Amino acid sequence: MNIVTRELNGNRKSLIIWSVGVLFLIASGMGKYASMEGAGETINELMNEMPESLQAIMGTSGFDLSSALGYYGMLYLYLTVMTSIHAVMLGSGIIAKEERDKTAEFLLVKPVSRSVIITAKMAASLINILLLNAVAFLTSISFLQQYARGEEVFESVTQLMMGMFLLQVIFLVIGTAAAAVHQKAKKAGELSTGILLLAFVISVAINLNEKLEILKYATPFKYFEAGPIINGDGLDLTYLAISTILIILLIAVTYLFYEKKDMNI
Amino acid sequence: MNMFLHELRVYRKSTLVWSISLMFLVVLFLLLFPSFSRDAEEFMQVLEGFPEELKRAVGLSIETLATLLGFFSYAFLYIKLGGAIQAMNLGISIVSKETREKTADFLLTKPVTRSQVFFSKLFAALTSLFLTNIAFFITVLAMSSWVNTESNNEKTLFLICSTLFFLQVIFLALGILTGIIFPGIKSVIAVSLGSVFAFFILGMISSSTEDKGLRYLTPFNYFDNQYIIKNLSYVAPFVWTGMFIVFGAIAAEMPIYQKRDVHAG
Repeated sequence: MNIVTRELNGNRKSLIIWSVGVLFLIASGMGKYASMEGAGETINELMNEMPESLQAIMGTSGFDLSSALGYYGMLYLYLTVMTSIHAVMLGSGIIAKEERDKTAEFLLVKPVSRSVIITAKMAASLINILLLNAVAFLTSISFLQQYARGEEVFESVTQLMMGMFLLQVIFLVIGTAAAAVHQKAKKAGELSTGILLLAFVISVAINLNEKLEILKYATPFKYFEAGPIINGDGLDLTYLAISTILIILLIAVTYLFYEKKDMNI
Repeated sequence: MNMFLHELRVYRKSTLVWSISLMFLVVLFLLLFPSFSRDAEEFMQVLEGFPEELKRAVGLSIETLATLLGFFSYAFLYIKLGGAIQAMNLGISIVSKETREKTADFLLTKPVTRSQVFFSKLFAALTSLFLTNIAFFITVLAMSSWVNTESNNEKTLFLICSTLFFLQVIFLALGILTGIIFPGIKSVIAVSLGSVFAFFILGMISSSTEDKGLRYLTPFNYFDNQYIIKNLSYVAPFVWTGMFIVFGAIAAEMPIYQKRDVHAG
């Protein structure tokens, strides 16, 4: 419990900064929506005929930008990227920092086992992630309800935020696993951000070419896309299963490797 | 000169990794171009069935986007994202690593002035970025002459590609400023990734809503590729803003770095 409190304190400042960032993103994005004039019906119809690669380049990616929820769908992509960065940095940092700041000896001579340490750190990160998600959820709901003239937004936003939460957890455990596996603590952050950037680039490339569709299993950014959720299709079960397996696997990797890890001080 | 060479040597591996990643991005995106231009052609035929004025409005923008230059401009956005992360990371790390790795007393007891230290580091960082850009531009030239069926427009390509270097210099200056003001930064990649993505998202919002004032806030939008393709020149006010940021940052950094208290050990 002490470790959890300690970690929560240690990450408080960065959580506040990230929350302000998320708040600012949603507020400025939705604020822009208010000042935009909606596109006509024919344009939307035309957009549906357009190949996905063209839509990607035209910058609309199939969202109906005239509705508040459609516009929010476009923002959602950036929101997930932002919270994933937070998660991956948090995950790799919370494990790697003991070696980086040369406090590993201090922590490990305490009468707690390594698995207790990992569990405490995981719990603290999960709380951080949940709080950031809650900030995003509340801000989104309050802004959307202001702009969505009569549209039903609550259910869609809830589902979108659940998808985002899974994404956050996936990247969190990618971070912890990278930090547990990598011998050099300093490189863990770089490795995990490398993975994140690669996943992001792959998701962009998939938008440009339908032949790369098969790669969508390889990048979490494609698991819970705003489009189908807003259309009422809900979260995709296949991807839910893949995410769960991925998360369990990476948690196992974190525990197993951290138990055996040689501390490099 | 020794310091300059030392820094270059230290960052040799990271320069190499970043250059290769950017080259990989160019190759990946430009390989997608042939299938994209086929998509665009098919869509132009679909467009025949739509009303005349709509065809004119949408068709024109597709014609410019479906060329190699248009497609490259789109992909270039993500290359700029990578480049900006590299530059900001380099900037923060090169001025703060003495404090972080506790080598400041070692360096500052050498018979060199602090401004010599500062400029060696600055020029080493610039050289590293410059080398990355050369490798990048050669890849672009080679790939574009390979995938493009029409005649290649080297001058426009060169103008667009040089904006990568300008953008990197802006982010380098911002990074150095950050590193000098907060020498105690523990995880460099967390700070650089967070701030670069914040600017990037701001840029996406600003370009999807075409907001004039917001554009000054994010260096990502200082250079408009469509404008460059049309006019073969940059937009003057933004070039001035960029230069102002770079020189302003350096002018602010010098006195801070010279007066700063450095804690040894």
